[in-house]
Amino acid sequence: MKKPLLSLMNINKYYGDFQALKDISFDIYQGEFLTLLGPSGCGKTTLLRCIAGLEEINSGDILLNGQSIKDLAPNKRNINTVFQNYALFPHLNVYDNIAYGPRVKKSMTEEQLKIEVQRVLELVQMIDYEKRMPDQLSGGQRQRIAIARALINQPAILLLDEPLGALDLKLRKHMQTELSQLQKKTGTTFVYVTHDQDEALNMSDRIIVIDQGVIQQLGSPREIYNNPKNLFVTEFIGDRNILEVEVLETGTDATKVKLGQNELTVTNSVESDKIQAGGLGILAVHKDKMQVSCDPQPNSIKAEVVSVHYAGSQIRIDVQVADLSLTVVEYRTACPCKEGDQVYLTWIDGGAILLPLEGQVNQEERGLA
Amino acid sequence: MKTLKRNVLAIPFLIWFGLLVGIPLVYVVVLSFMSRDHLGNVVFRFTLENYQKVFDPIYLRVFANSFLLALLTGFITLLIGYPVAYITSQLEPKKRNLAIALFMLPFWISSLLRTYGWVILLGNTGLINNVLLALKIIDKPIPMMYKFSTTLIGTVYMLIPFMIVAIYNSVDKLDRSLLEASYDLGASKVKTFFKIVLPLTIPGIAGGFTLVFTPALGLYFISDLLGGGQTIFLGNLINTLVNRGRNRPLAAAFSVGMILLVTLVISIYGRITKDKGEGLFQ
Repeated sequence: MKKPLLSLMNINKYYGDFQALKDISFDIYQGEFLTLLGPSGCGKTTLLRCIAGLEEINSGDILLNGQSIKDLAPNKRNINTVFQNYALFPHLNVYDNIAYGPRVKKSMTEEQLKIEVQRVLELVQMIDYEKRMPDQLSGGQRQRIAIARALINQPAILLLDEPLGALDLKLRKHMQTELSQLQKKTGTTFVYVTHDQDEALNMSDRIIVIDQGVIQQLGSPREIYNNPKNLFVTEFIGDRNILEVEVLETGTDATKVKLGQNELTVTNSVESDKIQAGGLGILAVHKDKMQVSCDPQPNSIKAEVVSVHYAGSQIRIDVQVADLSLTVVEYRTACPCKEGDQVYLTWIDGGAILLPLEGQVNQEERGLA
Repeated sequence: MKTLKRNVLAIPFLIWFGLLVGIPLVYVVVLSFMSRDHLGNVVFRFTLENYQKVFDPIYLRVFANSFLLALLTGFITLLIGYPVAYITSQLEPKKRNLAIALFMLPFWISSLLRTYGWVILLGNTGLINNVLLALKIIDKPIPMMYKFSTTLIGTVYMLIPFMIVAIYNSVDKLDRSLLEASYDLGASKVKTFFKIVLPLTIPGIAGGFTLVFTPALGLYFISDLLGGGQTIFLGNLINTLVNRGRNRPLAAAFSVGMILLVTLVISIYGRITKDKGEGLFQ
């Protein structure tokens, strides 16, 4: 088995009475791109700051290469951070900003430093900017310099705190690609914090979904997207219709449920074995994996069209089933319907999952971002 | 349109400024080139005699004394004020507001009274000497009054709130994430202070220095009361020339000299803060 680079063991963090992190444990492996994903206030940034040493943990331990680092000051940890607002030193030019780490640690001669600064500037494609002051750079450029300033220290782990948050959409998309290329090229372990699921799904090797200071799910982007383990992850990742259904009959491969007047057979997913007949379940279907048909179909939901919106390449159809509202997103429609029409909804294989109902938490309490 | 409106709104200020600053200033400058008769009355006859006197070595000493006093006041208030301001900015909001209120509290009492307070404290029969005598630590009073250093204590005490407030503003504006970035990159707290905090608060230091230096150059009641006229400063000299010497043209010439000195300090300050986008005059 691979040895973890960084191990977090039962981390707890309190601010007064408020518990920001609850019993967080996971391992990070050399060279991986790990993303901490969650809504604002979920504890992901706190967790990152605990790893950096900028916050103290109340209990638990952090091991880097098997050694506890929880009592080390941030300047003694071989971990560097790219801050959300970049935190470039405004009185130093690009060269001096990047040279700051090696200089304060006296880890290089000035000649070595010159070569190293060139190397990291090349990595982030910012050669020739050495003499610029931070306020003469655009947001994207500052971002790159902040990354270069961290990378020159050759950290065991690079922590990135929502580094793309301040950039516009187009630049953000571009930087996503660049960041993951940079990560592969340098082989540095990245721990990346974001609330943006697209960023997380695009770049990560593994994603940790956090809510209310608790790890909700840990897995590859594909696992997280296709097989969310609980209602929170189901709602947070992807765009799904979330429907409460009555469970009629459980089976090894499929479960029979009732939605309004419709009886449906749903292929079992990861969490379906926790469902009991006679109880309630959650049927979650990706909006873009549903189809609208004008004629009755096997295993379909009979619904009434509420409205139809054309949004460029896609069509959004809002429908009503009993007292439930659903949305279907289609790119080609087999049924050109209009308001008030009777339609039949089906979903493509693997588009739906069935979860047990955790009645106690609802969407408002979570304060979904 | 907007600039026009703004200009119109500036008229009352300009009138006010012209009446209270412009005209007196012109008056002082004109006065400094005038002569006086044997009775001491100002005569409207152009002369450079006053300025020749200003450059007399005896009077240059007075300039040097004042300059030294103002400079030392600036440095001492900086050395004491910086840590005070820095620590204050790190306090939690409630304690911080209390601390700032305490710095400002002395302003509610007349500065003359506060200066007399120092006489009561430092005099030969003052509090400190009495206590030390009663405790038999000394057998005769330590003379602490009427020295250059006594005046210095007075000016430092009087002007230090300006330094604290100026530096506090600068330190308070400092982005905390810059300090975190510095620790994160491997710098200790001491290194972070000297490489990040200090350079970024230079505008505050320069502002505080200007706010302290300028009045320190002209204050005269402190050196009158605490210095006892042992060392003559510009303020005392001008005061004496106007009130006792009946030589207002010469007093005006010294005033012009003082104004030029202050202008020099302020222009240096302007230079320091020009590129930083912060400062008192922007």
